[in-house]
Amino acid sequence: MTFLAWLESTAISEWVRGSPSLFAFPGILSAHTVGMGMAAGINAAIALRILGVAPGVPIAEMKRFLPAMWFGFWLNFFSGIGLLLGYPTKALTNPDFYLKLGLIAGGVWLVGRIRNRLHEFPKGLAVWSLVCWGGAITAGRLLAYTYRHLMAGH
Amino acid sequence: MAHFQVSLVHWLSHAAPTIAEFMRSKWGWPMAESIHFLGLSMLVGCVGLFDLRLLGMAKQVPIPALHKLIPWGLLGFAINITSGSLFLLTEPDQYIYNPSFQFKVLFIMIAGLNALLFYVTSWGRVNADGTINAPRAGKVAAVISLSMWISVIVCGRLLTFYRPGGCPKEGPGLIADCNPQMKPEF
Repeated sequence: MTFLAWLESTAISEWVRGSPSLFAFPGILSAHTVGMGMAAGINAAIALRILGVAPGVPIAEMKRFLPAMWFGFWLNFFSGIGLLLGYPTKALTNPDFYLKLGLIAGGVWLVGRIRNRLHEFPKGLAVWSLVCWGGAITAGRLLAYTYRHLMAGH
Repeated sequence: MAHFQVSLVHWLSHAAPTIAEFMRSKWGWPMAESIHFLGLSMLVGCVGLFDLRLLGMAKQVPIPALHKLIPWGLLGFAINITSGSLFLLTEPDQYIYNPSFQFKVLFIMIAGLNALLFYVTSWGRVNADGTINAPRAGKVAAVISLSMWISVIVCGRLLTFYRPGGCPKEGPGLIADCNPQMKPEF
């Protein structure tokens, strides 16, 4: 807990949490939601194609959209670190946060697996991808309702 | 307009007491929010992918074939209109008087109008067999679509930071961005 209390007292943590600037907490949160839509949404679109939607799209070409998916992913990686710096205790003491990270790790692992096997129409992997990204969104949303400690220092 | 907003809030708050009661239960609001975020991802995933294709990404993908994803984006939109209505029916004054919500609705309407114009003006040319490069009008529509949906997401996230308070002594403006039924703010 002392580490978390120290982290909360750093200037950057206080800025994320307390700055009246729209680019602090509100802006980071907005970026995190836009990145979520891009990362989860494009992975869902690829999964839908594997599952038989838009059959006229050559399956192997779907991977050309992956750079946009990774853009959303990295946007969320960094905005996620920003949110974590603002409220480290709130996330790190909540088991739901680790569930979310686990689901994202599963989703990222599946991106690579699916990419290499696109021509085989890996329907099972596509369903798991939907489960992981949908689960990560739900777990992320529920973080606001399941935390036990907001701050270590209070 | 402000008067219309007051009647709208009054009507919404009495429209569906059962839904409001469910939403106030422990998991009602969090569940609806989770569904709203899943719908958001379906919407921007499918529509955004199509916009990126119009802008020249993944030119190997035939545009008419990729367009078959759009109904799934519309399904995401329908999910969000439904889940969004649940919030509106439960706490109408938190939305109707909220400038962030007012802009969100405006941007959704612009996105809809933009899509309509796209189908009327450029869809014929875009949908022709063998079209690799979308015409300029299609690209403009894609840029408008992407910027509107991103703005809709941002306005949705900013809602909580623009909770409406009481109106100033001189009353609300043409469009109320404050709650006329709360005590005035001095």
